[in-house]
Amino acid sequence: MKRRQLLAAGGACGACLMSPWLGAQSEWQTPGRFPRPPLDTDEGGLWALMDREETRLRRSPFVIRDPALQAYVQAVACKVAGPHCPDIRVHLVNTPLFNASMAPNGMMQVWSGLLLRIENEAQLAAILGHEIGHYLQRHTVERLRDTKSRTAFGQFLGLFGLVGAVGQLAMLAGMFSYSREQESEADRIGLTLMRQAGYDAREAARVWDNLLLEIKARKSGEAQNSSPMFATHPSAEDRQKILLQLAEANPGGEAREAHWQKTIKPFRHEWMLDEIKRRQFDETLALLNRMIARFAGEAEFLFARGEVLRLRDGEADADAALKDYLAAAAVGGEPAETHRSLGMIYRARNQRTEARTSFERYLSIAPRAPDAAFIKNYIAELGS
Amino acid sequence: MNKLLVLLLVALLGGCVSMAKVETGERAVGDRMTVTIEGPWNHLDSSSLGPAETWTMEGLPVDQLLLYPGLKDGQAIHARGQGGPNAKSFEFRAAMQPDEIVGLFEGMLTRDGSRFRLMRLEPVDFAGQKGFRFEYALTRKVDNVQLLGLGYGTVSKGELFAIVYTAPRLTFFARHRDRVEQIAKSARLKN
Repeated sequence: MKRRQLLAAGGACGACLMSPWLGAQSEWQTPGRFPRPPLDTDEGGLWALMDREETRLRRSPFVIRDPALQAYVQAVACKVAGPHCPDIRVHLVNTPLFNASMAPNGMMQVWSGLLLRIENEAQLAAILGHEIGHYLQRHTVERLRDTKSRTAFGQFLGLFGLVGAVGQLAMLAGMFSYSREQESEADRIGLTLMRQAGYDAREAARVWDNLLLEIKARKSGEAQNSSPMFATHPSAEDRQKILLQLAEANPGGEAREAHWQKTIKPFRHEWMLDEIKRRQFDETLALLNRMIARFAGEAEFLFARGEVLRLRDGEADADAALKDYLAAAAVGGEPAETHRSLGMIYRARNQRTEARTSFERYLSIAPRAPDAAFIKNYIAELGS
Repeated sequence: MNKLLVLLLVALLGGCVSMAKVETGERAVGDRMTVTIEGPWNHLDSSSLGPAETWTMEGLPVDQLLLYPGLKDGQAIHARGQGGPNAKSFEFRAAMQPDEIVGLFEGMLTRDGSRFRLMRLEPVDFAGQKGFRFEYALTRKVDNVQLLGLGYGTVSKGELFAIVYTAPRLTFFARHRDRVEQIAKSARLKN
């Protein structure tokens, strides 16, 4: 796309922002596939930089290397991207924060903290659609042209790579974010794309509704600490309201929850342990309370909430944790660590028989656990 | 690795770090702990490095030996403000169990998004007290380098005494592991 076409596209989308939903949907046309820009242009240089980052990303030990999950998410991206499918490459990255990003060369990153939080395929489609919206409107290129400082631009590029600390990423995202107009435009395009792909557009609003619960649970209310996306986007409240209004004007579509949950089940335990290790206890409790309310009878979530409460160790937390661990064991299919944690609480309360029984149960399920030697020592201390 | 070096250099210059040679023999670490070393180490000294003494054989960021000479209840295991003003703080509490203390070190080592995998946690004597020993693998976020680590710890009179060593899995960890084990075995507490 030449610059004139780009401006024309931007102008068209500026118009859709002022139009009602259906009008915007009819006016906005998916652009054709983008040819690779010449290397001696600013956009060509940007693509080359992103190609280099993508090569590094492919080799990174942080990438989730599961062909089935990768193929699933890539397929959803393809459904949403339509004719741009061949140009978009999804990379799943093990990082316990809610984030996705789209580079101008078609490299998309989706982090495990996001995969853990979404409830169904439609919500995934909403996020991917939003990122593809940025790609189709070439927002990064616009930002490149707006960003005068080379240092600032270098930092902006860092957002798309794996380099840099996670904490810095949130700060950078806040400093060099897309404009509110660009975000709103990506939201609208994302909603259009997900609806065209057959998904229930109301799920886009639910993503932000769910995240609001976590934001409000934070004592500091500093949402950008938990996700660079919070720092780069309009407020979650505004976004949730607008998306819901737009979705209700265009009802129908599927959520595909069962399929999504079945697909991520093998990964959920590890992602939840990563989430717990962040030690953002109040925020994680908000997430787990939501999951337990929605997926009643899942031992994994009950165990995870018990872990958060045990580690937070506030007043009455141990009692609440014990209740969750016992509920997880009663449901069945609980992680082995449920029994280790039960043992820890019983041991701290000098309930020796219960502690020993729990530790023995843990070792019978996980005899090669890394802490097995330590647990055996506890059992010996507790006596017969 | 270049970016990491630049960040490290900025941190070191910003914190006015000095380097001193630690000679062979018995050395005091803080007021209450001593260790005996065979062969010299380098000691980095700066208030910006936190409550642990930081030693290295190869130089940072290659390898790092942290020695905690009595961390008090409520004290963070890292420098205040490290990781940015909004970064989560990891504070020792006297009632913590060994798995929780290892969790603190895990939290500190993964504040930048690095990944930690506990490989072993076992009861051992450390510094003449009942304590614990742990081994771990760490994948550093900033440069994807795979590291290995080992640590020893004990809680005495409500204070945490520990040593934690981390080095790249290739070459360096194996090169210095025995030295670190020897230091751990030599650790003693004063009354």
